[in-house]
Amino acid sequence: MKEVLKVIDLKKSYGKNEVLKGVNFSINENEIKVIIGPSGGGKSTLLYCINFLVKPNSGKIFLDGVELTSSSVDLPKMREKIGFVFQHFNLFMHLDAYNNVLMGLVRVKKMRLNEAKETAENSLNLVGIDKKLWNLYPAQLSGGQQQRVAIARAIAMDPRIILFDEPTSALDVELIGEVLKAIKNLALKGMTMLLVTHEIEFAKDIANEILFLDNGVIIDKGIPEEMIMNPKNERIKKFLGIITKEKENV
Amino acid sequence: MFESYIKIFDRYGPDILSGLKLTIYITLISIIFGLFLGLILSILKIYGPKILKILSSLYIEIIRGTPMTVQLFIIYYGIPSTGLIRFSPFFAAILGMGLNSAAYQAEYFRTAFNAIPVGQSDAALSIGMNRWKVILYILLPQVIRITIPAWTNELIALTQYSSLAMILTVMELTSVAKFIGSKTFMYIQSFAIITVIYVILSIVFTRLMVYFEKRLAIPGVSVVRGRGSLF
Repeated sequence: MKEVLKVIDLKKSYGKNEVLKGVNFSINENEIKVIIGPSGGGKSTLLYCINFLVKPNSGKIFLDGVELTSSSVDLPKMREKIGFVFQHFNLFMHLDAYNNVLMGLVRVKKMRLNEAKETAENSLNLVGIDKKLWNLYPAQLSGGQQQRVAIARAIAMDPRIILFDEPTSALDVELIGEVLKAIKNLALKGMTMLLVTHEIEFAKDIANEILFLDNGVIIDKGIPEEMIMNPKNERIKKFLGIITKEKENV
Repeated sequence: MFESYIKIFDRYGPDILSGLKLTIYITLISIIFGLFLGLILSILKIYGPKILKILSSLYIEIIRGTPMTVQLFIIYYGIPSTGLIRFSPFFAAILGMGLNSAAYQAEYFRTAFNAIPVGQSDAALSIGMNRWKVILYILLPQVIRITIPAWTNELIALTQYSSLAMILTVMELTSVAKFIGSKTFMYIQSFAIITVIYVILSIVFTRLMVYFEKRLAIPGVSVVRGRGSLF
């Protein structure tokens, strides 16, 4: 198995607040790993550090064996290979759905327009965005549709891995399903993915491995069956208890 | 009562027209010059290296902290006195007003840049754009739209400020009115005429900008609401 992403002793602090205290893990090709853990545990910061939207203080990150943390790296070139799906979608507000996906292909990949259009259309189809939505602007789309366009924007770039930062937590309950379905579709296609999510059932369903991140360190990891069905760690038990209770209240 | 107006138009119509032309030229050329310089200043102030940040802030503060009259005098009388270079009155007026407007426009642009949620820049970086591409393809198209209302204000202000060109002996609208007044002693009538012209010109500029604002509005976002509707 080819190793796509490797993170070694990653640390990040804001002032005196140590958010990541040395995180280690790796992901192989076609693997899906899910990070769970309480809010403020550093999950989002970890993802943002991986593609350097937030600069880590120390540690090493390798993508396909190339060190991102080295000072000589071509950062935009490397980011192009790391898809990122944000909690709040972050679509380009002045462009319609179609052009949101097309933008990177034309301006970054410098594809010929015909080829770019074909790629964009394939990506939009893959996430189930109907042709009649293509010319709508983000503000005219529902949250679920926006997030699926954002996923299309990421996969159109043909990344080596996609990072998902709580992709459904800003969505109304009835819209979560369509986004999870789109992510599942990618999983079936063999996309390598790292997800942060509170959708425990979904995590159990999709993940090869679950990492529990709390207080800036991965305190436990394992296959979903043992991590979720019968967790040994007290903190994980407590966390899963709270999450399940919240679900029931909804 | 209207005889005197008819007399003025009859004799000085062409002068008024050429004054109006100059007023429009000065206003439009200097606002466009200010637009480009203002954009550069704002981008440097936000994204530039530290030294350029400081220089750009300094420029903006100095220009906004001094009267335009003083700036025009420095350009038209001050600089030539060094013997280095001499500007025509028209050019000096445009240069002075453009440099002045750039400082104000830079601040309009800066607030617009800051108004765009940082998530969009993150997203653009995440698909592999470098920061100049982010500015050019993602931020700028939105900044221009956000700035239009403030820019309309600036355009109207510059229309009125263009009368300051008269102190550099440019024969724009106000100079023409003064000239007609001194020839005919019909000061009230000649200034009444240009007052009406200035108001009409400002209204035309405003309507034009509202048209652009509507034309460029992003569906679902920057809705220009109908007149008189509060909500």
